[in-house]
Amino acid sequence: MFVLDDLLFRPFVGIVDAIHTIALDELYDVEGLEDDLKENQLLYELGERSEAEYRRRKAELEAELEIAREVHERLASGRVEVKS
Amino acid sequence: MNNRYVYGIIDGDPVEFEGEAVAGATDVYTISHRRLGAVVSDIDTTEPEETDEDAKRHDEVLREIMNHDGGRAVVPMQFGMAFESDRALKNVLRGALPAFRRALNDVEGRVELGVKVVSEEDADVDADAVRERVADELEPIAAQSVANDLFSDRLLLNRSYLVDREEREEFDEAIARLEEEAEGFMVRYTGPFAPYSFVDVTIGASQ
Repeated sequence: MFVLDDLLFRPFVGIVDAIHTIALDELYDVEGLEDDLKENQLLYELGERSEAEYRRRKAELEAELEIAREVHERLASGRVEVKS
Repeated sequence: MNNRYVYGIIDGDPVEFEGEAVAGATDVYTISHRRLGAVVSDIDTTEPEETDEDAKRHDEVLREIMNHDGGRAVVPMQFGMAFESDRALKNVLRGALPAFRRALNDVEGRVELGVKVVSEEDADVDADAVRERVADELEPIAAQSVANDLFSDRLLLNRSYLVDREEREEFDEAIARLEEEAEGFMVRYTGPFAPYSFVDVTIGASQ
């Protein structure tokens, strides 16, 4: 029965893994964060964002970007554990 | 500090000056191979960290090279190119000589200018009409142009233009006309920069 269970269950595990990976991609969106950093710089240069607000937002985005890049590196190396 | 940090590649007479260079260096000089030269400063690593300050210094050194001797052509390197010895660097110059010569030829006497058109917050702007108007003004003057990422919803246009130094004034005037008639959008005009967007030389040698 183990073999049968395993074969029946395997496709669903694959789908769960894939959905989880897509969710992580969206949650840790490196490209989106890079765009946000550029937009922050642009709004500052246009005078729509104060220097204090620009610096605060920049630090926030850079920290998020660092985490996002790390998550993606781990995803690529298969070191992210999927728990349900 | 035996490593050499490279800013760009030039042709002809070497360039040498003092200034604020990457990683605290002050001397900028040229390592030559035949008529080709790599403009460098000394650095203690081959993997420099890209801080805002050093990225700015990299750009400023390139601008200084561009303004040297009444205007020099330079093939700019992206931030972070460092070589562990003069020999390694000269090997790259030797190997990529034809590619550097072609690139130098493409950018000779030209500068890169950046134009971003940004809609005002909550403005209702016909983006296609704005892009068409900008193209009508700027494309006939520029030698080449390339589109850059539209990284913000408010960006209507983001392009880099390669412009002959002699056409610079005409380009400035065209920008001034666009700024004057801008309604619901702003024009952000930057440069001149070293022509990053118009050269495509990849250095693959061991550094």
